[in-house]
Amino acid sequence: MAGKDGVTIEFLAKDKLTGDTFDEKLDSVLEKVKDNYVLVLEEGWTPDEKRSLIQASMEEIDDDFPGVEFLGLDSSNTRFDRAKELFYNRVLDREYREGLTIVGNSRVMEKVKEERDTVSFLAKLENADN
Amino acid sequence: MIDRLKKFINDLFSGSEKDDISIGIYGPPNAGKSTLANHISMDLSGEEMSNISEVPHETRAVEKKEKVTIKADDGRTLDLNLLDMPGISTNVDFKDFTEHGIEEDEAKGRAKEATKGIVEAIKYLDDVDACLVIFDSTEDPYTQVNVTIIGNLEAKDIPILVLANKTDLEDSDPSRVRDAFPQHPVLEISAKEGENIDKLYQEIVERLG
Repeated sequence: MAGKDGVTIEFLAKDKLTGDTFDEKLDSVLEKVKDNYVLVLEEGWTPDEKRSLIQASMEEIDDDFPGVEFLGLDSSNTRFDRAKELFYNRVLDREYREGLTIVGNSRVMEKVKEERDTVSFLAKLENADN
Repeated sequence: MIDRLKKFINDLFSGSEKDDISIGIYGPPNAGKSTLANHISMDLSGEEMSNISEVPHETRAVEKKEKVTIKADDGRTLDLNLLDMPGISTNVDFKDFTEHGIEEDEAKGRAKEATKGIVEAIKYLDDVDACLVIFDSTEDPYTQVNVTIIGNLEAKDIPILVLANKTDLEDSDPSRVRDAFPQHPVLEISAKEGENIDKLYQEIVERLG
């Protein structure tokens, strides 16, 4: 949550994230983000999942919740990475989720820099703008 | 670059059994989607199809121009459905509209319309046959929203042509667009000035013969 004391940034390890379905995870993320948390998830999201995040955020927007800001450090797109992804999907029957996903309420999180291998954001105190 | 552009056009039109093709114009807010849509629409039908404004999210619903006919020099024609999409973003704050002098009640209404438009644009990712993805070349296009748009189109094997727009501006740097999405051909354009739009038409018509 954010207030005059600051913004809570919560880090979620991949082991904690593997038990839920994506829809459950998305609901949980949006609930916390609406409460002004910034979440750092130790996993990359697929384009389709990111699309779901954007759509779900739009459907939740009202006068008090303006939506989200999100950043990602995705696995690169080299042949080796694609081979690893295939190995996870076809041999281990597990989702390949190399990367990091950061989601926050756009009123408290402002992107500063986003590159393939570096991201930075500013956590804003909500009442600093008022 | 020309070879990759030709490949895009080939991919775009080969194997399609539909009479006409729906081309979506995607990109972030204020990238120049509606300016491009209007330029194409004016060229081919004599009518504009979208409103343009400095205020973000001016296009808050998918604007369609059906059966826009491209005609080749030798008389060959192709019917296209052109879809000008609302700019996709992850947040819509009504306060951003009030900063442009819009009254609070109207700003809240605009914000609500904008969110619906973004959802509509996202859903259309399943229905378009090809996409022009347009970026403002004065800004860094590597954002999660843009990565998400391109990634979803790639996952569905939908042909993409990336456009680096606003090359008429002094701080335009199309190389940033190429660097962000090196897997796609990039055409440098100025939708406002009409720069390189003829090149796009020319390439399309050549592949249809």
